[in-house]
Amino acid sequence: MAFVAIVVLVVQLRGELKRLQEEPIDSLHWNVTQMELDVVRFEAAARLALAVPGSDLGDLKMRFDLFYNRAATVMQGSMFARLGLSDAVTPLKTQMRAFMDETAALIDGDEVSLRAGLPQVVEQVGALRQDLRATAIQVIDVNAAMEDARRASLSGMLQRLAIASVTLVLLLLGLLGLVVTLNRQAGRRAREVQRITSRLAATVGTSLDGVIVAGMDGRVVDFNAAAETIFGYARAEAVGQPLSSLIIPPQHRAAHEAGMERMKTTGIRHVVDAGRIKITAMRRNGEEFPVELSIASNDSPEGMIFIAYLRDISQARAAEAALVAARDEAQAAERTKTSFIAVMSHEMRTPLNGVIGALEVLGRGRLEPRQERFLTLARNSARQLLRHVNDVLDISRVDAGASGVLDDRFDLPALVATLVDPLRPQAAQKGLGIEVEMLGSFPPLMGDPFRIGQILQNFVSNAIKFTDQGSITVEAEVLPVSPDQVELELRVTDTGIGIAETDQERIFEDFVMVDPSFGRSVGGTGLGLAISRRLASAMSGEVGVESEPGQGSCFWLRLPLRKAEARDTAPQAGQADLPVTPALDVLVVEDNETNRIVLEDMLTHLGHRVTLAVDGGEGVEKARAKRFDLILMDLSMPLMDGWTAATVIRMGGASRASRILAVTAHVRPDAMDRFAESGMDGWLAKPLSTRSLAEALAQGADPAPGAAPASDDLLDRERLEDLRQITDGGGFGRLLETFRVHVEKTLAAVEGGVETDPFDTMAALLHASVGAAAVVGAKRLCEEFARAEAAAVAADRPALLAACKTLPATWAATWAAFGALTQPG
Amino acid sequence: MIKNLRATILAGACALMAGAALADTLPAPQGEVILTVSGAISTLNGAEVLALDQRLLDSLPQHSFTTSTIWTEGTATYSGVLLRDLLAASGAKGATVKLTALNDYTITMPAADAREDGPLLAYLADGEPMSRRDKGPVWLIYPFDDVASYRTEQTYARSIWQLNRIEIAN
Repeated sequence: MAFVAIVVLVVQLRGELKRLQEEPIDSLHWNVTQMELDVVRFEAAARLALAVPGSDLGDLKMRFDLFYNRAATVMQGSMFARLGLSDAVTPLKTQMRAFMDETAALIDGDEVSLRAGLPQVVEQVGALRQDLRATAIQVIDVNAAMEDARRASLSGMLQRLAIASVTLVLLLLGLLGLVVTLNRQAGRRAREVQRITSRLAATVGTSLDGVIVAGMDGRVVDFNAAAETIFGYARAEAVGQPLSSLIIPPQHRAAHEAGMERMKTTGIRHVVDAGRIKITAMRRNGEEFPVELSIASNDSPEGMIFIAYLRDISQARAAEAALVAARDEAQAAERTKTSFIAVMSHEMRTPLNGVIGALEVLGRGRLEPRQERFLTLARNSARQLLRHVNDVLDISRVDAGASGVLDDRFDLPALVATLVDPLRPQAAQKGLGIEVEMLGSFPPLMGDPFRIGQILQNFVSNAIKFTDQGSITVEAEVLPVSPDQVELELRVTDTGIGIAETDQERIFEDFVMVDPSFGRSVGGTGLGLAISRRLASAMSGEVGVESEPGQGSCFWLRLPLRKAEARDTAPQAGQADLPVTPALDVLVVEDNETNRIVLEDMLTHLGHRVTLAVDGGEGVEKARAKRFDLILMDLSMPLMDGWTAATVIRMGGASRASRILAVTAHVRPDAMDRFAESGMDGWLAKPLSTRSLAEALAQGADPAPGAAPASDDLLDRERLEDLRQITDGGGFGRLLETFRVHVEKTLAAVEGGVETDPFDTMAALLHASVGAAAVVGAKRLCEEFARAEAAAVAADRPALLAACKTLPATWAATWAAFGALTQPG
Repeated sequence: MIKNLRATILAGACALMAGAALADTLPAPQGEVILTVSGAISTLNGAEVLALDQRLLDSLPQHSFTTSTIWTEGTATYSGVLLRDLLAASGAKGATVKLTALNDYTITMPAADAREDGPLLAYLADGEPMSRRDKGPVWLIYPFDDVASYRTEQTYARSIWQLNRIEIAN
């Protein structure tokens, strides 16, 4: 900008100076003055000629010519115009032209007329002189003004030039400063680049990984020390060589070349910038080895370059292979061990069942007290051993995923009751009560009741084992998750010894017992919780514990479950649809009286002949004595249980080849190995329905487990309907009568002993009634008996009194309801 | 015929020889003297002077150019003798040339300025003799149009008209 201004100014100035140089301004000035002089001289010559007649006129003529020349020059030229005086001098010009023409005629004429005209010439020239004088002064004034203006213009121009120059100088100084700064920056940058370059070189040089830089032509550009070590080439040897012949095994070269070519032509990359890959490379000596590498690409001024970071992983590979081999070996050993244990357990169980059966048979004979003691010892030991073996087999079964998960409809309160009730006597032995608290309402659910039961049973068994005083509480709660889904939470809380924080996770591991000596004293393998955890995770649920040593523990199970769909309310199929089976001889082995009566009624109703046995021992005895077509075997019985009884029956006697069906409430027997070993042919789920029983008898196959009954508050009407169908009214009445006698006897005993009798007596008394009430469908009564029983078990007198208080009223209501049912119509 | 021819040749030779001798002497002017050269000169034809009439001027190398001037309108072709040639013809030795006009206007200039493309002692304008009333009889004029460096105040001042005397000084 300043530079342009300066250029413009200089050009202007030059023009001005040139004009100054060329323009003859003062020449006018000079000529006008000279013209005045010429006029004066001419006038003088004229006066002289006038004064001296006869004098020479040559000088006069020359003076005139000189004036004439001057006047013509001044008038003719453009000088006046340049000064802007053209108009001002027009009168003078006219006057002079007239004078000059007139006088020239006289001068050029004869002497006589010249002399005669002289006076007039003198007069005219005098006047002319005055005018010229005025003009001359005017010219000088104008000229001076012009000069001033010109000087001012020149000075202004010079001033502007000076300002522009100073500006330019400042600008240049600024630019200089900028250049200096830029130069410094460039220097810094250069040093930085130098530093980075050397750092990079050091980084590449000292890298533990091989670094190879190659160009687009596939030739090596750089080769670091680690690469030298890995491949065996010196850097100088490698640089400039094609990669393919240098480090790529011959069999891979074609693929490498093809890849490079593809990348060059299409730009598609498979390897470059693809992260870590593993390939085979080749050393100088031809040895091939695995490398892990990643290749990055970069645009450099010399074109695309590729930077490969390589790591010799032959050792890592070898180590990995060794590890894999070690792992496989270990796994194989583990499998062998597991399979050995499984086989051993399996092999042990058959003879063990034999031992137990033999001991039972032995026990039925007459024995001396000493022999009796040893026999009890042998029996208990054998049972414990069997339990251990079963646990181990259970674990291997669950681990092998051999048992699928059921998706059956079940009724949670009923499930909990059937599981907890059989454990009450065991708890009562230690003076413990089991309290069941069903929190909230429980819709029918879909799930695997057997597994849930197994877990709950394990929790409760543990609680009994590890609690010496206080109580055990079983809580169940169903939390809605979505319209279809719920989360079931079962909690078993005890007031036992508790578990230290550090052991809380461990106890769910296999064979872990916090205190092995204690574990031995209470009996157990330490597998119960491990099995529970496996079962829970098989059902997508989880188990856990919260515990405070010395305060007690709370084991919980959480399961996601589906709600069962609304029950099919269509009337049950009539009797006519029931499968018809030829009359059979049936042995019912069942310790619970009510259950026995129900089963007997059902079977009789179906046209079979029924023999009853009250426990395993009696069952075995009867089975040996007579051949039965079918034996229905309750599994959990005191003294000899169903498993053992079945095993012993198979060992010999009249019924050794009879069909034996297990009857069970909480364990799915066919999920257990011992099921087959015990010689059972099938199983039936409690509570039994006539239909399921009839079908089982007809098909000789596993019927579907009986569905849990729907219930109202007071009575389980479906169950009662079922009972009425199988008992033909008369039988039903007899059953109810038996029940009435039992209840009234119990109520009397309760009333007499509720305030004074020992808790265990009360508990046993009430326990029997709980089962009986459940069988006949006296729902509320059953619940109240259970509550009372729980209070007795818990040794809680006030609770017991409270629970027993409502019993007579509930019984009255129940009996009234039964009466309504039995009324005709 | 041959005699005449020989005489002519002889006359020519004599004339050539006379030309060479002209460096020192020139014939006296026969017509009206137009220009008088005096001072440090070697060629004289009068009392200490070289007096030139029209015929003598015409005998010197003639030169002409066309130019405009600041005193005239339009251009004109001026003819006459280059100052240089006149100085050479007069055998001038001095370094300074002083020129004076009829009205006694005088200028002084270095003799070295009298160059081939320099000042002309013009006495013809467009082929017409220049009268005393129109810058005559002799006007020292420069080729203003051809040579820009002459368009200066000094050169304008040196363009002396009605020139009639030249004096060479050291």
